[in-house]
Amino acid sequence: MTKEMLTGNAAAAWGVRLAEVDYIPAYPITPQTEIIETLAKWISAGVLDARFVTVDSEHSMITAAGAASATGVRVFTATSSQGLLYGFEMLYAVAGWRVPLVMVNVSRGLSAPITLEPDHNDILAARDSGFLQIHCETCQEVLDSILMAYRLAEDERVLLPVFVNMDGFHLSFTREPVEIPDLEKAKMFLPAYQPRHAFFKASQPMAQGVAVIGGPAYSYFKYQMHLASIKALEVYNEASKEFGKIFGRSHNTIEGYMIDDAEYILVMINSFSTLGKAAIKEARAKDIKAGLLKLRLLRPFPESDIVKAIKGAKAAAVVDQNISVGKGGILHSEIAGAICNQKDKPLLLSFIGGLGGKNISPQEFEFIIDCMVKAADTGEIPAPRLLYTETEWKEMDRLKKMAGKL
Amino acid sequence: MLRLRFHGRGGQGAKVASRVLGTAAFYEGYYAQDFPLYGAERRGAPIAAFTRISKEPIMERGVIAEPDIVIVIDETLLDDPLAHPLTGLKEGGVVFINTTHSPAEAKLKYKVTAQAVTLDITKIGLEMLGLPVLSTLAGGVASKIAGLGEDALRKAVEKEASEIITDRGLVLKNVEAARYCFHAVQPIEMKTGEVVHKGSPVIDVPFETAVISSPAINTTGNTPLRKTGNWRVFKPVWNYDICTKCMTCVARCPDGCIAVNEDGFPYTDYDNCKGCMICAEECPVKAIERVREVHAW
Repeated sequence: MTKEMLTGNAAAAWGVRLAEVDYIPAYPITPQTEIIETLAKWISAGVLDARFVTVDSEHSMITAAGAASATGVRVFTATSSQGLLYGFEMLYAVAGWRVPLVMVNVSRGLSAPITLEPDHNDILAARDSGFLQIHCETCQEVLDSILMAYRLAEDERVLLPVFVNMDGFHLSFTREPVEIPDLEKAKMFLPAYQPRHAFFKASQPMAQGVAVIGGPAYSYFKYQMHLASIKALEVYNEASKEFGKIFGRSHNTIEGYMIDDAEYILVMINSFSTLGKAAIKEARAKDIKAGLLKLRLLRPFPESDIVKAIKGAKAAAVVDQNISVGKGGILHSEIAGAICNQKDKPLLLSFIGGLGGKNISPQEFEFIIDCMVKAADTGEIPAPRLLYTETEWKEMDRLKKMAGKL
Repeated sequence: MLRLRFHGRGGQGAKVASRVLGTAAFYEGYYAQDFPLYGAERRGAPIAAFTRISKEPIMERGVIAEPDIVIVIDETLLDDPLAHPLTGLKEGGVVFINTTHSPAEAKLKYKVTAQAVTLDITKIGLEMLGLPVLSTLAGGVASKIAGLGEDALRKAVEKEASEIITDRGLVLKNVEAARYCFHAVQPIEMKTGEVVHKGSPVIDVPFETAVISSPAINTTGNTPLRKTGNWRVFKPVWNYDICTKCMTCVARCPDGCIAVNEDGFPYTDYDNCKGCMICAEECPVKAIERVREVHAW
């Protein structure tokens, strides 16, 4: 075990190296490229024994990844934002093939207007594809989650592809100390992949990913994917326990921060959770019983864990770093769906913040906590709200003037 | 927590400088975090990089709006309306400026109210590395101002330089250059307090029609207003006694800066010439001289 300063991207590459991946189809895109560059460098230096193939698009890349995985080898690939959308058709296809590849998405806001910094509309667009989704707050989580993702994907009860998601720039290019496990330990946790349902052997011909005509067959295959995804909750918990035993740290489906006695709960995901935790600490210093619930596993949706974690609180505020145009925060709807039939449920508030990487300042977090306290006191729930400050509005006005809009 | 912000131009080494400092702090047992911010990668464009150093786990991410220390690797950025390097520098904080000016001159010229430290690290880079690449040198300066030790700096430069340089000799030269800069800077006392959040209130964002709220720009281009000549470290100077008017330099200039005067001799537009020196490289009779330039304007 060594500890080093690593970016989220380098941590992802280390996870792939320790997983002893066989095949990596690659196509560059900011802010993901550093992952495939690092892997290419290692393959060239002879420290990673894998086949690296550059392709002509993300659509081809995901197809190649799925096809390779269907031959029974361990496959990794990565993309971000526009690239994910360009390959979108194949996400559903490879998930339907039931192949256990692992793909990193480095979140970046979607065009138009085109931008580089993170929000989660890219990865949440893939929410219903059949890929499982693990979301990371720290660079350590990125490395660890890749090992966990292969365990999860390759388990015979699951056999679905897995996304590991991290925020562009705020994690992908941010270095912090990361423990790099020894290869022997990584192998103890993640043995070599032994495919039994998807492989190509001359002695045993088969057809994979076949067409079906007729609803009953289609429904059967789709629903089996759903059942396998739900099954993955149990597999995840087993894997998480074993990970803890081997590496001395574990990552559950959700993480609670100062949540046990919390009356006011922030619900967040990915790297901005760190900022939320700092705000919780500040609120605690002012004697407000606040806590934070971080979602790690988003698909399958750990509904009962979430319900249990926020049960009994006076109010919870979901901070969505995404926007479903014409509806609002996506995770807010998901949490609302999870608690709607519960008796002891908190009031649920909705905030949208951090779009395109916009900072969420301590003052904005104070505002959210204040809204929760007021809602609990009055029983009135404020309308969903975009986190946006007066200073930011003034700066936007200046830009609009410069663009000849005012 | 100590928060440092580096300002440089793409290619100068601000990102690696922030990493040298981050790694040095990590080697000294601190929690450390470093992070660069640039848009679509472009050599010469203003970039910023950030390093946080703390005895406690770091619960911040992203840009540092209120730094204790600002490291300005390219002094022309002090006049740049997009970079504005001094913004948010805390009271009692320190700014380092890579310049030929003394601290007093720099403070006067750039209206700096914070404590200022200056050193011409471009000159040191040219002399010790043969290149105006300033990453490890700025890392050395920053380590000194941040109060880190020389041993951690040496190890950090070796580690970070080895990641990007294959020539072992050049790695060691970088270690020496960083140490030289470390010693050239006097220890300085920081008098900054913890961050006091002077945040701005949350507002309700009103509806505006797409006539205003679409991402379109109605005004005509303003690129000509943005002069790029102050990116230069060297400027090309023509010797018309040798020049054969072959026009190779005119053809090779990637920015179309070189034109021809009434006598048929080439000359450059110093407002926009970035000093890439491709013209001097390509000139078949070596009629173009590289002249070190400080304070283009």
